Amino acid sequence: MTVARQEARLDERATRSARPAGNRLAYAFLAPLLVAFVLFYLWPAFNTLGSSFFRWGLLRPWDLFSPSQWDFVGIQNYLDTLTSPRFWNAVVNTLIWLVVFPVMVTVASMFLSILIWQVPRGGSVLRAAFVLPMAISLAAAGVIWTFMYNPDFGVLTRFVQWAGIDFSIDLGPIAFRTRDWLSDPGVIDLGFSQIRLVNLSLIVAGFWAFTGFGVITFTAGLTAVPDELLEAARVDGAHPGQLVRHILIPQLRGAMIVVATISVIFALRTFDVVWVITQGGPAQDSEVLAVLLWKQAFVFLDSPQAGLATAVAIIMSAVLIGGAWPYLRDLTKDAR
Amino acid sequence: MRPRRFTTGALYTGLAALSLLWLVPVMTAFMISIRPLDEIRGGWWNFEGATFTLANYVRAWDQGLSSFAFNTFVISLGSVAVTVAAGALATYALVHLTFRFKKLWFFLLITTMIVPIQLILIPLLPWFRTLGLDEGAWQLVGIVLVHTGFGAGWAVFMLSSFFRQIPKEMLEAGTIDGAGHWDQFRRLVLPLAAPGLVSFAIINFIFVWNDLLLALTLLQRDYQPIQVGLANLQSPHLAQQDLVSAGAIMAILPPLLLFASLNRYYVRGLFGGGTKG
Repeated sequence: MTVARQEARLDERATRSARPAGNRLAYAFLAPLLVAFVLFYLWPAFNTLGSSFFRWGLLRPWDLFSPSQWDFVGIQNYLDTLTSPRFWNAVVNTLIWLVVFPVMVTVASMFLSILIWQVPRGGSVLRAAFVLPMAISLAAAGVIWTFMYNPDFGVLTRFVQWAGIDFSIDLGPIAFRTRDWLSDPGVIDLGFSQIRLVNLSLIVAGFWAFTGFGVITFTAGLTAVPDELLEAARVDGAHPGQLVRHILIPQLRGAMIVVATISVIFALRTFDVVWVITQGGPAQDSEVLAVLLWKQAFVFLDSPQAGLATAVAIIMSAVLIGGAWPYLRDLTKDAR
Repeated sequence: MRPRRFTTGALYTGLAALSLLWLVPVMTAFMISIRPLDEIRGGWWNFEGATFTLANYVRAWDQGLSSFAFNTFVISLGSVAVTVAAGALATYALVHLTFRFKKLWFFLLITTMIVPIQLILIPLLPWFRTLGLDEGAWQLVGIVLVHTGFGAGWAVFMLSSFFRQIPKEMLEAGTIDGAGHWDQFRRLVLPLAAPGLVSFAIINFIFVWNDLLLALTLLQRDYQPIQVGLANLQSPHLAQQDLVSAGAIMAILPPLLLFASLNRYYVRGLFGGGTKG
């Protein structure tokens, strides 16, 4: 323990007193990447943070070096954001994504991977069908799902008609209709807030495109399960259900955390699918944070709302960095 | 415990049905793209008196898809080239050299994997104007550099797991032979990490090819890639599914082919040669 700590300290001292030549050499290797990184990531990120305390618009951008042009408003952008009903509407829609999407992806891809894994031959062919959509852009996936949901000739609409399960219910707080998947599929009224079902239509499109990532991850996790463990369970006469529940699922914990984490990050940042299919509509029923922010910054050009948009961006980033903090620290530990 | 034949049969049937179901959306887009629009209204699965034609593709191509496709290739190949080259150099320093602020840089680089791109999106447009990157082909240079900056975390993260697999003894042997770091990087590390570089290049290519948000925000009409063209073509109020579907198929084909043919590299890249946990 003490020895290790001493060594660590020595190590640290060695790093600190690394000869300037060594520093120069290392930074020569780093320079090309760091130039792009500083100019097009750190500096804009700093500008987003800085400009979120000012009122500005793209027609009159905030500039750190011309203080005479500043219109300082303190934390007003944050206050306005946090008291705006439209922001909270976007928060609710984003929360629907945040809860439903990771659960769908994680559960479905885990069971798919386990099922495919049990097949003696041809597993990779079956797997390919689920994995291939991963290479498809979310914009294209959105377009493709507008065909599926098309009220005239969409596969879903026609299937519902053909199977005779075309119905609509209206029970007061719950309304649902098996048509108009994108224009008005219904709503669940919770009293304090409404869950618009159009979000689920969009989540299904994202789920279809993203599940492949989960399948790849869980498959990698399954190949790492020790054979002895499975053999022992078999000798003990465990049936497949017990095998899955008591051996595989505990062994897949690591993969589960990875899939859940990445799909939470994905859900919180989601933009493409929503933008292509509904642009946040009808009205603001499917407007998520990323879409709201984009509209504030780039659509409402007349009123200077870019300051509000940067406040939303900072809030989103803070939530993500805060939520992913353990994961980030874990990744940074790799740097030795 | 060998599954009984019945169970295996049921498993195969169920999985085959599910995987076919999973392909229905792509199939839908493909069938719409190769048939006239008025035939589609009866359902694409209705093959009575069906005509198959490439006319939709020709029309979409003439209506500007050709320039969208060209721009996408320029942006994707440019971004991959710059990101892989700069990323490999930086990763060498991060893995094999000691220097000040190493941990801090690594941490900052890694944050690009987590934060939403919206964190940098809004000031980028005025920033491009300041740098003169908002006009003509400079826009392409600009977006390549943004992809490099924002892809830096993934580059360093994935490449370092490959670079670390190179045995230390090999590098030490090189040092004894009097090879400088530049020689070691070029003659030893690059060839040995080549599979890793290929994996990362594929993942990066697909990622950049599929980007919508950056291009939508930063590029003017003549320099936009195919994803933006597709998003603009798509409109709930216009019945032009024939054009849109042809555009969608063209937008997904290059990454899909790359992915299908080099799948092994892709998977290896994602897990850096070994999963943890």
